[in-house]
Amino acid sequence: MNIFFKELKANYKSLLIWSCAQVFIIFAGMMKYKGFADSGVDINSLFAGFPKELLVVFGMGSTDISQVAGFYSVFFLYFMLLAAVHAVMFGAVVVSKEERDHSADFLFSRPVKRHEVITPKLLAGVVNILFFNLVTFGASVFFIGLYNNGDGLVDKVAITMVALFVLQLFFLALGAMLGASLKTTKIATSAAAGIILGTFFLSVAVDLNANFDILKYLTPFKYFNAKMLVIDGTLSLNSVGILLVVTFILTTLCYLIFNKRDLST
Amino acid sequence: MNVIEINQLTKYYGKHRGIENVSFSVEKGEIFGFIGPNGAGKSTTIRALLSLIYPTSGTATIFGKDCIKYGKEIRKDIGYLPSEVFYYENMKVIEVLKYSASFYDDVDMSRIQTLSQTMDLDLNKRIDDLSYGNKKKVGIVQGLLHEPKLIILDEPTGGLDPLMQQKFFDLIRIENEKGATVLFSSHILTEVQKLCRRVAIIKDGSIVKVENLQDMRQHNYKKFTIEFENVVDPAAFGFEGITSLTQEETTLHFLYKGDINKVINRLQGKVLRNMLVEEPTLEEIFMHYYQKEN
Repeated sequence: MNIFFKELKANYKSLLIWSCAQVFIIFAGMMKYKGFADSGVDINSLFAGFPKELLVVFGMGSTDISQVAGFYSVFFLYFMLLAAVHAVMFGAVVVSKEERDHSADFLFSRPVKRHEVITPKLLAGVVNILFFNLVTFGASVFFIGLYNNGDGLVDKVAITMVALFVLQLFFLALGAMLGASLKTTKIATSAAAGIILGTFFLSVAVDLNANFDILKYLTPFKYFNAKMLVIDGTLSLNSVGILLVVTFILTTLCYLIFNKRDLST
Repeated sequence: MNVIEINQLTKYYGKHRGIENVSFSVEKGEIFGFIGPNGAGKSTTIRALLSLIYPTSGTATIFGKDCIKYGKEIRKDIGYLPSEVFYYENMKVIEVLKYSASFYDDVDMSRIQTLSQTMDLDLNKRIDDLSYGNKKKVGIVQGLLHEPKLIILDEPTGGLDPLMQQKFFDLIRIENEKGATVLFSSHILTEVQKLCRRVAIIKDGSIVKVENLQDMRQHNYKKFTIEFENVVDPAAFGFEGITSLTQEETTLHFLYKGDINKVINRLQGKVLRNMLVEEPTLEEIFMHYYQKEN
């Protein structure tokens, strides 16, 4: 418990900053919707004039963004990206930072097993991503409600947040696995950032070119379709299942690798 | 009974040698010295004992139990002062000590006060703001706080002024008298001589010798530097017990082992400008004692 609370305490400031950033992005995104809606322009026909590729890159391939739900679903890509970066960084840093901060000799010479250090650290990670998720939920419902006659689409946003949480768990585990297996925090966070960027661009590539369709299984960003979540309110249980299994595998790997690790001073 | 038993312990980092076939044992209740130059493998050995790193081959037991298999159990009774003391920089000293204590059962919290008073440590300062020596003191207090049965000190005195070193040695002696076994690693021979009865000497990853310090003193070398008024014939000092004799103009350097009066007799009738008789450095002992005898 001592390690768990220490991690919560060590991370609450950065969690608040991340949460504020998320609220700001949701606020800014939905402000743009207000701009569109107030201008009275038919956005769909306006965007119809844009090249498809451009729309796809911004996640607006085939969505009716004249409706608030459609608009939100487009922006969800960015909320998801921010949540993914937060989770993967948390995982990578929390596992490896004792060595970065030269406190590993102190911590691991206490009467604790390696897994008794990793578990509370990962639990603190789950609490952090859950908080981030709830902030995203609250801000989303609030700002959607603001432009949708008070209807925050609570049900649909809630389902979207379940999907987001599964993704966050996946990225937390991915980060933790990288933190346990790579030599330093710096290498782990760089690798994590590289994977996020790579899989994000892969998801764009899959949207752009049907030939890449098979590759969609390789990018977690394609596991949930924001349109289906926010507009239809349906969650792909297959995706949830696959992601949770992969998360479990990554977490197990994290424990196994960290258990065998030679700690650096 | 042996508190620590190390058997053919070997650690390679990839192709880099850490330690090779290190074997020695530490008896219950003794203060055991572990000396060797920097990079010889002292920290590697100690960190393997604490299963911070895993040996390539060989075994080690503490309190009769395998270090890796029963690591958690063993570490309940170990107090460890790492050679490089870094703690959670944004915490206060008292927070670090309480955090440390939270890992053990039944810690006498009043010891935080008494130990830090002895070591003259300000509990309310942030770790960030502490000097190297003061960080060492935090290390000392956290290492002794839970009254461990085995105290492992890795280069503990760096950054401590002589007065603090003395207080620290006193603390270690008190814990030792209460029954604690101590493994004391250092690269400074004189420091080890003050506290320890037996020492293991490590060089280039291998144990050169495990020796009783009493025996070692008996054939201890003295390092002579004698500056004469005129150039002298070094052959006058070519007698039994003198090694590595070198001459620089009017100055002679040599190591001597044996009856000091023999050297004094040879100086009769010569005019000296200066004379130094010193303890040889550890490195010189390695060069002229162990390598020759082995």
